[in-house]
Amino acid sequence: MDSLGVVIAFYVLSAITIVSAASIFLLRNLVHAIVLLVVVFLGMAGLFLTLSADFIAVAQILIYAGAISVLFVFAVMLTPLASRDNGNSLYAGPGLLLGGAIAAIVVVTAFDVEWNQLTGVALEQRSFTDTIEVIGNQLLGPHVLAFEVASVLLLFALLGAIVLVTDPNNEDGAAAEEEAGKDTAVGGSE
Amino acid sequence: MTDRHSELPATPMARQIIARRSLLDAAKAAPVSLKVAGSIVLLGLLLVNALIGFIVVDGQLDGEWYDFRDLGYAMERLRIELDEVNLGPWLSYWVTGLIGGLGILSFIGGFLLIGSWIERRLLARFQVRMGPNRVGPFGLLQPIADALKLMQKEVLIPMGADRLLFFLPPVLVFVPAMLAWGPIPWAPGMSYLDINVGLLFVVSITSLSVLAIWMAGWSSNNHYALLGAMRTVAMMVSYEIPISLSLIVVVLITGSLNLGEIVAWQTDHNVWLAVLLPFSLFTFFFSSTAEINRTPNDIAEAESEIVAGFHTEYSGMKAGLFLAVELGNALFVGALVATFFLGGYGLFGLEQWIPPYVILAAKASFGYFVFIWLRSTLPRFRIDQLMTFAWKYLIPLSIANVLVVAVETSIAARWEVEAIFIYGSFAVVNVILTVIAVRTWARVAGYSSSFERPEPPRVAPMIGGLKAARRIKAGA
Amino acid sequence: MTTPTEPYVLNIGPQHPSTHGVFRIRVVMDGERIQDIDMIVGYLHRSMEKLAEERTYTQNIPFTDRADYLAAMSGNLGLCLAAERLARVEVPERASYLRVIFAELQRIASHAMANGTLVSDAGAWQTPLLYMFREREKILDLFEMTCGARLTTNYMRIGGVAFEPPPEFWPALLELVDELPERISEYEELLTQNEIFIARTRDIGVISPEDAINGSLVGPALRGSGVPWDLRKAEPYCIYDRMEFDVPIGRNGDVYDRFMVRLAETRESVKIIRQAVENIPDGSHKTDIPLALRPAPGEVYGRVEGPRGELGFYLVSDGGPAPYRFHIRAPSLINLSLLRELARGASLSDAVVTLGSIDIVVGEIDR
Repeated sequence: MDSLGVVIAFYVLSAITIVSAASIFLLRNLVHAIVLLVVVFLGMAGLFLTLSADFIAVAQILIYAGAISVLFVFAVMLTPLASRDNGNSLYAGPGLLLGGAIAAIVVVTAFDVEWNQLTGVALEQRSFTDTIEVIGNQLLGPHVLAFEVASVLLLFALLGAIVLVTDPNNEDGAAAEEEAGKDTAVGGSE
Repeated sequence: MTDRHSELPATPMARQIIARRSLLDAAKAAPVSLKVAGSIVLLGLLLVNALIGFIVVDGQLDGEWYDFRDLGYAMERLRIELDEVNLGPWLSYWVTGLIGGLGILSFIGGFLLIGSWIERRLLARFQVRMGPNRVGPFGLLQPIADALKLMQKEVLIPMGADRLLFFLPPVLVFVPAMLAWGPIPWAPGMSYLDINVGLLFVVSITSLSVLAIWMAGWSSNNHYALLGAMRTVAMMVSYEIPISLSLIVVVLITGSLNLGEIVAWQTDHNVWLAVLLPFSLFTFFFSSTAEINRTPNDIAEAESEIVAGFHTEYSGMKAGLFLAVELGNALFVGALVATFFLGGYGLFGLEQWIPPYVILAAKASFGYFVFIWLRSTLPRFRIDQLMTFAWKYLIPLSIANVLVVAVETSIAARWEVEAIFIYGSFAVVNVILTVIAVRTWARVAGYSSSFERPEPPRVAPMIGGLKAARRIKAGA
Repeated sequence: MTTPTEPYVLNIGPQHPSTHGVFRIRVVMDGERIQDIDMIVGYLHRSMEKLAEERTYTQNIPFTDRADYLAAMSGNLGLCLAAERLARVEVPERASYLRVIFAELQRIASHAMANGTLVSDAGAWQTPLLYMFREREKILDLFEMTCGARLTTNYMRIGGVAFEPPPEFWPALLELVDELPERISEYEELLTQNEIFIARTRDIGVISPEDAINGSLVGPALRGSGVPWDLRKAEPYCIYDRMEFDVPIGRNGDVYDRFMVRLAETRESVKIIRQAVENIPDGSHKTDIPLALRPAPGEVYGRVEGPRGELGFYLVSDGGPAPYRFHIRAPSLINLSLLRELARGASLSDAVVTLGSIDIVVGEIDR
């Protein structure tokens, strides 16, 4: 976080992300909101890149912007009047209140915690260039149980989606079930 | 063929066809002085090549900034010089980044100019006709004429279309097409984005164009566009899984997601991954035709059914961008296939003499040629056949492929045998397993051999109506 | 737990790359499946039948060119046969042989077009179409040599044919006839074992023989369903009884069978042309008839086996030079009525391919 370019990138990306996120719940058009959600995902991927987390950034694009946004798109398209007036809702007030409360908690906690930051020589000794190798070793080494449990969970989610959507009388639920299955599968395989 | 034509009655059409010669005929009929000059130039080029070969073999060229075989050295030198200017570390990165980006853009732009011509001429040649040959010499200016025509068209926005979402898709589909070229290594030191997650970067950036296509279909306020967009989104999203699975196998064998290291593995071991992983090559190639919406998987723009699919309502340069991106993506997939499976910039040692980027460009163009060949030859699949093929056929077999290659990789890591024996046996085993698996799974998936050889029509032994038909069917 | 869906109407409008002319289909679809279709014809109506009542029989021959514009010779032949029966005109033998040669040439050209557009509809980007067009171009060159026009030939006359073919016609015809069988084998090799083509056309648009007869289906579509009915053998006209040829029929009645039947019929046409060229006698190419032929009052229904099926002409004469009633029985119109049943429950791609296999020409539907 030293170089000028990284600082500029951080501020620009943060601005884009925050403005898009705010516009998501301020816009009346649901489909535009989805597009802005994709912008938020891409902004977050950029922020990951400023922290040198290349694998996470690319995985964020692949999973969120590539697959989960498609899921959102299908869900929104099944909503009637998706492009029309979605502004007025009974939950606007309580929603803002709850959101503000959560934001306050997160900010206070972030300032209060003793972040484990390395600087100087310790940073030099600890830093590595190849995040993938380290993540791979960790996932298949110390954290292999969590990895396998997560994979099995995703497999069950995939099977459950197929079971939920298949109509035992006819097989025309094929397209929808494949769509539902695809998103969970992508999340699991990466 | 031309002789027969001149014997037939010389209708005006036939006369015109004979009058406009093809490139080859014009070359054969060139005047003698031109041929002599051409041969002198060619000899000169050969001499220059020999001289370069001498310098290369003698090692005088290696690593210097004027080593044109690998422009990475020049970039390194430029970076060092810019760092010495002492304005900050950002200057060298920005300048070299800009130059590299401009290089990629100009290569792709140049290809788009000539790619359209190549595609139309080749398609025409496959279809026993000439292709564009009027605009400019041999029709070479045809893509420019097309671009000019598209640019001067009226900007039509359908009534009821979502304005913002209507303007975005051409841009949104162009950016990933350009950006994904980053990690591809053109020479050992020459890739624009030499990142350690190169492979994943490529897959993720190409998955962004799915959204753009959906947006194009939705915002057009048109049934055809929506149908086309839904089909395309379902297809592209389904075929991302076989692509990822076939690339996982590549990562397993080469041990890295970095595209440069994948190519380096292939040049070091002197083997192309296509030999070791035939099924992955086929899966990747076929799934990529689905990703970029080309025949036999071009259900998205099935002209005979849904007019133009998701870009029905786009006119002018917006449609031009969609078409240009389709071309660029085809070359890109050719470059990807070359990088992953066909050895990238390496050609068994020849990359010391010929610049590696020329080798890669040749391989990518070969991939593009195969795409055009497929387009002109094969009919297209129906959407449910496509989806069935992906989910019931490619994905199970790809998973089995990952398992087999994982076992092989762990054997290779543990066994201390000559690389050629290990990988040779892998290649043989893989080919055998592929054939067996494909055939057994085809039977399991319900593919009957009577489908392969349908019976030809038979001759009617009698003439009649329904009674005769029943009699024939009973007798047969 | 399926979401409730609502059918929507897709209009495959008069302008469409695959409706084989100006022909509109309103499709009610549920997702990708067709629930019902509504076919709206009439965009190409040129009121031929009414106009024909003001013109003499010879002047009406160009109308038949333009009704089924892909089978002009067959249309001409049909009208001439009907008028000859009505007016009791004799046709010299040489003229009959010439008529058969040209009708069979037209059949080859029309089947090339029909099969080519079928494969294009299935998605093969016109490559097989253009290959088949090589032969069609040569046939059209032969037509141009003889009567001056490629498409709207206006070649048959009441009492014979209009012109004697020029001397360079016969060597060109023999060369074409020698070359055709291997070309047809080439198309068979390219397409009949092609997996994707088989997957697109097998078991699609199946018409059982009962449905075919109930729906008055005619032509290669009927023969594809297994019903061995060919007018050239059942009611031979114009020296077809002297020709030896087979009638191919299909087994299943699907799109693939109709395609194969057309391809096989092309081979049979080549056989017929060869026999006709070998046996053609000398003589005149038409009998003289008065300029304004006045047939005796009466009615006649004359039919020929065109490339699309039974092309019939119903002529009613009241003794004047112009027909009192002139009606064309268009095979495409009647074959098309089966599309509704076939399209129900099929997907849009299948419906398009089925329409291509029924082989319609909108000019003859609307007249």
